[in-house]
Amino acid sequence: MTATLTRPAVADRTASPVRTALRTAARWIGALAGAVALFAVLLLAKGVDPVAALTGMVAQAFTGPSLEQIVIKATPLVLGAMAVVLPARAGLTNVGGEGQILIGAVAGAGVGLSVPGPAALPLMLLAGAGGGALWAGVAAAMRLVVGVNEAVTTLLLNYVALDVMLYLIYEPWKDPHGSGQPATRPLEIVQRMPLVSGTAVHMGIVVALLVAVAVWLVLRGTSFGFHLSVVGGNPEAARRAGLPVARLILAAMLLGGAFAGLAGAVHLAGVEFKLRPGLTTNIGYIAFLAAWLARHRPLPAVGAALLLAAVTVAGDSLQLDSGLPAATVNVLMGLVLLAVLGWSRHARR
Amino acid sequence: MLVVDVLAGGVRGGTAIMFAALGETLAERAGVVNLGTEGCMLVGALGGYAVAAETGSPWLGLLAGALAGALLGLVHAAAVLWRGADQFATGLTLMFLGLGLTSLFGAAYVGSPAPGFDPVPVPVLGDLPIVGEILFRHDPVTYLSFAVAPLLWFLLGRTRTGLLVRTAGERADVLHAHGHSPALVRAAAVVAGAGLAGLGGAQLSTAYAHAWFEGMTAGRGFIAVALVIFAAWRPLWVMAGSYLFGAALAVAPALQARGQALNQFALDALPFVITLVILAILGRRTLRAAPEELRRVFAR
Repeated sequence: MTATLTRPAVADRTASPVRTALRTAARWIGALAGAVALFAVLLLAKGVDPVAALTGMVAQAFTGPSLEQIVIKATPLVLGAMAVVLPARAGLTNVGGEGQILIGAVAGAGVGLSVPGPAALPLMLLAGAGGGALWAGVAAAMRLVVGVNEAVTTLLLNYVALDVMLYLIYEPWKDPHGSGQPATRPLEIVQRMPLVSGTAVHMGIVVALLVAVAVWLVLRGTSFGFHLSVVGGNPEAARRAGLPVARLILAAMLLGGAFAGLAGAVHLAGVEFKLRPGLTTNIGYIAFLAAWLARHRPLPAVGAALLLAAVTVAGDSLQLDSGLPAATVNVLMGLVLLAVLGWSRHARR
Repeated sequence: MLVVDVLAGGVRGGTAIMFAALGETLAERAGVVNLGTEGCMLVGALGGYAVAAETGSPWLGLLAGALAGALLGLVHAAAVLWRGADQFATGLTLMFLGLGLTSLFGAAYVGSPAPGFDPVPVPVLGDLPIVGEILFRHDPVTYLSFAVAPLLWFLLGRTRTGLLVRTAGERADVLHAHGHSPALVRAAAVVAGAGLAGLGGAQLSTAYAHAWFEGMTAGRGFIAVALVIFAAWRPLWVMAGSYLFGAALAVAPALQARGQALNQFALDALPFVITLVILAILGRRTLRAAPEELRRVFAR
C-alpha cells in the first residue's frame, strides 16, 4: 500500500534480537493456531470431529509416499511463488500465475506433440517459460502503455488462458484414441521428466530449487535486483534517479511469467503428461499465497510452498476419512493466509 | 430475433454482475479495492440457495445471500482497514475462502432443488414488442435490480452519506479533519458493497441458474472489478457495462439455439477478452477519473 522502501520498526530497534525473534515467533504461532482453531470450528459445524480430522491430516502428511507427494506438489508451487516474488520486488502484484502456468503447459504440450523423441524435453521447458512470459507480458504492456493495474488484468487473463487450453483439448489437439474426458495425446516416455534416482519424485524439484536460489541471488546481490527494489519502493524516486522504470517493470513481469510458465511445463512433463480439464487445480493461486506467506522472500517462499503442498496432501485425508470435498483444504489455507496477512504486522511488505 | 435474444439474455445474465459491480463501485469510491468480490458472490450464491431451500422462501434466500456476502466483506474490511493488510492479497484470500467454504457447506445442495424466482412478465409493458422482451419478461429480482444503479447514483452524488463516502475515497485527511473516521466510512462501504455482491450471487443461484454448484460464479466477480474501472466508477455506466457483459455471455446459447456450431470456449473467453480490450482502449482516460485514494492503491 504505502510505498516505503523499508518500514522502520522503532520498537524493534531497541529490543534485543532474541526478544524480537521470540515475539515474531509468538505472533506466527498465534496466527496459525487461530487459523487452525477457526477451521476446527467450521469442521465441527459441518458435523465432523475436528480432532480426528486434524490428526488424520497430520498422519497423512507424514507417511513415506506422502513425503514424495509433497515434494512433487511443491515443485510447481515453488516456481509459481517465484513468479510472484520477483515482480513483487518491483511493486507489482502478479495474480496471473494460474493463467501463466496454463499457457506454459499448453506451450510445452504443443512442443511435445510436434517434436518427437528426447530432444523435446528441454524445448518444452523453454517453450513453457516463453509462453508464460508472453502471457505476463500482456499484463505488463497494459500496465505500461495504458496504466491498468496488473492485478486486475492478470486475473482476467487467467480465465482467457483456461479457455485457450479447453479450446485446444476439445478440438484441435484432442486425442482421438482417448476415452473419458477430452485430453491431448500423452507425452512419450522419453519426453517426460526423469526421476530423481531411487524415488518417485521427478527432476522438476531440482529445476525449481535452482530457480529459487537464482532469484535469491539476483535479488540479493545484483544491481538489477537492487534497481527492482528501488522501483518497488518508490517509482517516482527511481525515475528521478534515472532508472529505466518501464524496462525494469517489464523485465520483472516477463521473468515472473517465465517462472510460472516453466512451472506449467514442468508440471506437464513431470506429473500430468497430457493437457486435461482441471490440469492446474489452483496451483497459481496457492503459489500466490505461498509467496505472501513468505513475505515475498525467495528462500522462505520455498518453505511456504512445501508447507502448503503438505497441507494439500494432508487434505486428501479430509476427503478420504471425513468425506469432505477436496476444496475444503482451501478454507484452511485461506484462514492461515488471512491470519498471516492480518496478524503478523510485517506482512505489509 | 437474435439481437433481441442476446439483449434479453444480457439483462438476465448481467444482473448478477451488476449487483457485484455496483457493490465494488461503492467500496472503491470510498478508496478500497475488494478483489474478493468473486468470493462474496460465491458465498452469496450458496447462502441464498441454501436458505431458500431450507425455508422455502427465495426472498429470505436473497436476504441471506446479501448477509453472507457482507460478512465476508467484513473480513476484508477488518484485515485491510484495521490490520493494515494488503488489499489485493486479502481480496484474493477472500476468493479462496469463498471457494473453500462454499465447497465445504455446499455439497449437500448440489443437484437438490430449491424454490427460486421465475420470470413474471410485467402486464402491458411485457407485451411491448422488442422492449418488452428485453426488459419486462424477467424475474422479480431483475426488476428490483433496475432501481439499484440509479439509487446508488443518487446516494453517492446527492446525499450526505454519499459525500462522506466520496471524501473517504478522495481526501481521507479532510474527512479526518472534520472529525469523521475514514476507516469507519470505508468499512461501511466495503461491507455494504460486499452485501451487494452477495445479493448478485444469490440472484445467480436462485433466479438465473436455479441451481447451486461449486465455483458457479466462474469469474463474474473479477469481471465486476474490471467493469468498475472502465465504467469510470459511475453507477449508471456500470449498469450499461454489466448488460454488455451479460450480452457477451448470452451470445453462445443464442447462436447454439439457432444451430450455429461455434467453439464454446472461444465464446466463454469473450467476456474476459472484451473486458481487457475495453480496458486497453479506455485505460488512461478512465483511470484519470479514479478516486484519489484509490489511485494510490493502484499505482504503487
